[in-house]
Amino acid sequence: MNIEFENIRVSLGGAPILHGVNLRAQTGKVTGIIGPNGCGKSTLLKTLFGIVPRESGAIRLDGADAASFTRKEIAERVGYVGQEIPCVFDFSVRDIVGMALYARRGVRRAERDRIIETALTDVGLLHMADRSILTLSGGERKMVFVARSLAQGVDTIVLDEPTNHLDIRHQLFILDYLRASGKTILIVLHDLRLASYFCDEIFLLKDGNNLADGAPLDVLTEARVREAFGISGYAHLTNADTSDFFIDFASAKVG
Amino acid sequence: MARRRNPIRAPIVLALLIAGLAVSLVLTLSIGSSVLPFHTVYRILRDKLFGGAQALDAGMEAGLYTMANYQVVWNIRMPRVLFGMLCGAGLSVCGAAMQALVLNPIADPYILGISSGASAGAAAALLLPLPIIAGSNQVVLFAMLGAMISSAAVYTMARVGSGGQIRPVTLLLSGTAVNAVMSAATSLLVFLAKSPESIAAVYNWQMGSIAAAQWSTLWFPMVGVAIGVVVFSCCGNRFNQMMMGDEDATSMGLNVRRFRTLMFIVSSLVVASLVSVTGIIGFVGLVVPHIVRLLAGTSDNKTVIPFSAVLGAIYLIWADSAARGLFGGAELPLGIITAFVGAPFFMYLMARRKYGGQAQ
Repeated sequence: MNIEFENIRVSLGGAPILHGVNLRAQTGKVTGIIGPNGCGKSTLLKTLFGIVPRESGAIRLDGADAASFTRKEIAERVGYVGQEIPCVFDFSVRDIVGMALYARRGVRRAERDRIIETALTDVGLLHMADRSILTLSGGERKMVFVARSLAQGVDTIVLDEPTNHLDIRHQLFILDYLRASGKTILIVLHDLRLASYFCDEIFLLKDGNNLADGAPLDVLTEARVREAFGISGYAHLTNADTSDFFIDFASAKVG
Repeated sequence: MARRRNPIRAPIVLALLIAGLAVSLVLTLSIGSSVLPFHTVYRILRDKLFGGAQALDAGMEAGLYTMANYQVVWNIRMPRVLFGMLCGAGLSVCGAAMQALVLNPIADPYILGISSGASAGAAAALLLPLPIIAGSNQVVLFAMLGAMISSAAVYTMARVGSGGQIRPVTLLLSGTAVNAVMSAATSLLVFLAKSPESIAAVYNWQMGSIAAAQWSTLWFPMVGVAIGVVVFSCCGNRFNQMMMGDEDATSMGLNVRRFRTLMFIVSSLVVASLVSVTGIIGFVGLVVPHIVRLLAGTSDNKTVIPFSAVLGAIYLIWADSAARGLFGGAELPLGIITAFVGAPFFMYLMARRKYGGQAQ
């Protein structure tokens, strides 16, 4: 599904957060949102679901105005993995992944277990199906909610820093899986290297405004990173043999 | 395929609870200032429910029980036990609902200020000369008004405090504040009161009791509790979504604000219909849903809410039996027993660190 954010403006508690941001996530592609803390990345994602109300601007889902969809209709099309999900009560992993079916119509009871276990298998968590969410680490919990978005049966998933709390193995596993899934992925990432490696297109935000967008290597230039993050000496290098990107942290400095 | 955790556990527990409720009903009917044998109680119930007047006459003629036995079981204890079941079920499902609505395991109608609102209303009716409606109806009416005003105040304060959007933590905080204000209002009314009899009546009411239950007063709470149990049970999936937080529930298509408002109104009505008659019976709504979560091995509200209704009913009729049976002729206020049982259990829960536990 194509998602377009057009000139989105948001204020929270009287403070302007987004000043007219534009973004386009194309069908089947991985689109990344990066930017310094507080630049409005998460807020932008939340406007899609009505979690945060927007003052002006439009969101289009495959060209149709999102305002014409109910919350339920959006949930039937787009999955969401939030930054922090409070886990206060004792639910099993299976229970939580099963909650995806609330947003999915016409699932028969017999299909329910198969959908849940397929999603858990896909993220490698089937062996934890009957564990309590309270006993899982932060990273494992994150994976559970990724599994829930898969069980939702949507072709578009929006993720807010899903690699937080994940070790490098699980970061690669989950991002590889999402990219290979063929789904439309809109993802907020803090790790520039991960963003440049996994995203087809990147939108760089600063102070609630678009700073740049395009292919990762076109966006993550030294000048733009300095402007967005206040880092000098940043170098984004490419290994010719492996086509891998890496950041020369040794020469990067704050200021 | 992974093996499910105890797949038959929940149905077995529910079946056991319902059987336990039926047995408890008969057993607790035999307890009181005059102790009746279980088989006599069972026979009276069987003849009354399935045999009618002829069966009752035959039972009395055969010397199986006396008219006095029948009067005690059917007209004195039965309404009280049924009212106990209603109170237990109603307070428990409201507790389960409120814990989900404010995303906090320590929420219940008492902590959210609704019960103390009812208490202030009842105190006003008992202590101030307001001859609007005669007798106990005035207490019921004013207690209900107090509960509704309290709920509205909690909700409005939470909304203002959250900048227009209700947040669980502000609901809990405003509940605590309203609870304090309503308790202070009750104390002020008692302080200003002149009649020692009225002050005693307020204290008795605050300690909670279902001794006043009669067949004629059962219908209103019965309708209120039935609505609460049915509505909450049908919304189990939605309550589950609420337990994942507002943002997550919204992204799954739930209109969080509308759902929370509606469920808060239903909870207030149920609690007001009960508390206006019984006074403060604390810790039932807090403790019972937690016991259910431990017994059923899940926090899934599709299980927790109906189970809480049954277990809450059992808990309260036994607590009331203890209230009227422990000290012979002198009846102990029910609220004292529920607090004495509930508070240690609450401490036990904290010691177990069952909730909010850290990752291992």
